[in-house]
Amino acid sequence: MITLDEVTKTYPLGKGSVVTAVNGVSLEIDQGEFVLIVGRSGSGKTTLLNLAAGLTQPTSGKVLIDGTNLWGLTDQQQSFLRSQRIGFVFQFPSLLPTLTVLENVILPTVFSSKQEAVQVHDRATQLLQKVGLIDKLAAYPRQLSAGQQQRVVIARSLMNQPLMLLADEPTSNLDEKTELEIMELFRDLHAGMGITIVMVTHMRQLVAFGTRAVEMANGQVVNGHAK
Amino acid sequence: MSAFQLALKNISGNAFRNGVVSLCALLLSAFALFTTLVIRGAESSLRLTIDRLGADIVVVPEGSEAKIESALLMGIPARFWMPQGHLSRIAAMPGVDVVSPQLYLATLTGADCCSVSDMFMIAYDPASDFTIQPWLEEELGNGLRVGEVVGGSYISATEGEQNIKVYGYLVTLKENLEPTGTGLDQTMFLTFDTAYDIAGKSAFQAESPLVIPPDSISAALIKVTPGSDPHEVAVQIMQNVPGVTPIESSNLFQSYRKQMTGLLKSILVILSVTWGLSVVLIGLVFSMAANERRKELGVLRALGATRRFVFQSLLAEASLLAFFGGITGLAVASLAIFLFRNLIMVSLEIPFLLPSPLALSIQIGAGLLLALFSVNLAALFPAFKISRQDPAVAMRE
Repeated sequence: MITLDEVTKTYPLGKGSVVTAVNGVSLEIDQGEFVLIVGRSGSGKTTLLNLAAGLTQPTSGKVLIDGTNLWGLTDQQQSFLRSQRIGFVFQFPSLLPTLTVLENVILPTVFSSKQEAVQVHDRATQLLQKVGLIDKLAAYPRQLSAGQQQRVVIARSLMNQPLMLLADEPTSNLDEKTELEIMELFRDLHAGMGITIVMVTHMRQLVAFGTRAVEMANGQVVNGHAK
Repeated sequence: MSAFQLALKNISGNAFRNGVVSLCALLLSAFALFTTLVIRGAESSLRLTIDRLGADIVVVPEGSEAKIESALLMGIPARFWMPQGHLSRIAAMPGVDVVSPQLYLATLTGADCCSVSDMFMIAYDPASDFTIQPWLEEELGNGLRVGEVVGGSYISATEGEQNIKVYGYLVTLKENLEPTGTGLDQTMFLTFDTAYDIAGKSAFQAESPLVIPPDSISAALIKVTPGSDPHEVAVQIMQNVPGVTPIESSNLFQSYRKQMTGLLKSILVILSVTWGLSVVLIGLVFSMAANERRKELGVLRALGATRRFVFQSLLAEASLLAFFGGITGLAVASLAIFLFRNLIMVSLEIPFLLPSPLALSIQIGAGLLLALFSVNLAALFPAFKISRQDPAVAMRE
């Protein structure tokens, strides 16, 4: 499903020097997997996730989604592919503050193929029902707790029925109880809907939720065995 | 939800940016409309006054050029005299078709015998007049009788339904002329006979008599024969009639035109500086606001928004702010013009005629376009830059 082939990403530091965030990583993620990418802070996990999603261009190497070279596509094709196939859950509060919960969930449909307004509304309410926030349709993000906001983000990530979910430290700002609830929600989505999930976390104890763990250090995969 | 609808939602999110951008759009559009209305209003006034005079050349006593301009444009009463005998000499010159004399008079200041104070009065000779008389014949079917007057658009009856008292003499206001935005709007027009009748009776009825020197006129209005060059006729008059100044209608109000040109230049400089500063300020504020929203815009890109969508969404926000600010500015400028028209005329010392609804609509449209263009121009670079940014970089802390 996702193939990273000898992918390297460097960032300029100024005065001609660069920092290598990801160094020659090759990785394959198959459909139906729940992969957890673990590692210390600065190990290159988030950059790897961004590379897999096409959110940043590799300095060298290839990123393939279902055999299609992501960086051989135009911006429009790449954006369309992202909106159709990938759902995102970020570490930081990523809801648009000026939109209601319902509008935030509906937002990805703006960038995808045309859908009936009624269909869109029904699906959004179903998803909010699924994440337990059906009573918050008209609320604004500032009126929700951090855990509730992350649930809305998960509902939003599922709006276009993606084949995979990419999550970057989705529980790092949550308390232990909420973290568990969110992880169980991910497990349910994986088990119940068969969605491929790639999650970045620095918390090793969460590895138990996935089907595979990939460990990173210094921009390289140091352990990427199947469970 | 379209880029426009998203923009509409988003503009509620940043009060500082919205305030600055809207205020700049407001100032730009208001200033542009205000100055355009004043300058064009003054131009229209000058043109209409020249058209109403209908003369190719106006001959006045030497040294009275500024006085006649002030009288016709600002309604400041003027009194100057030249020998009536000049008329026949002018009429005999080649290229002169019609010559018509006028007397320039004024009501008394603060006198009990006058219901109006310091009003400019123009007496004309119905036998030769080609400015008022044709209009009167068209409007009233005949000319004015003794004791009858027509007034500029601001002249109204003060004694009874139709009467105005001047030098203790009741004149009847027969009609009002269309507004010109100049001193003609505050001027009363009467025939020579009425003027001499008032002068004759004023010795007994007024606190101070109306004096019209014998065999004198104030000005001579000339129409040249078709095909003649007014300039050549004016040169002939200058050379052959001593003590007078012929003013060609194209040269009339030169001092006001110079004043307006100077004013226009100053306004253009101020407008250019204001425009430049506004564009820079809007650009900076937009850059700041776009930077603050980098994460948000990165999220949009991750969710599937194309670079183009992000770019269009930011420009749509700019357009909305420009529209709201612009509309407010145009409303403020229009209101200011309508409410403070007289104050503007007096303080800038220029005549001013309000535009027609169509002309006003066009000018308002142009003001709005200026606001939209300026704000979009300022937002163009920040919007382009942020839309090209790598989403991962945009979302990084």
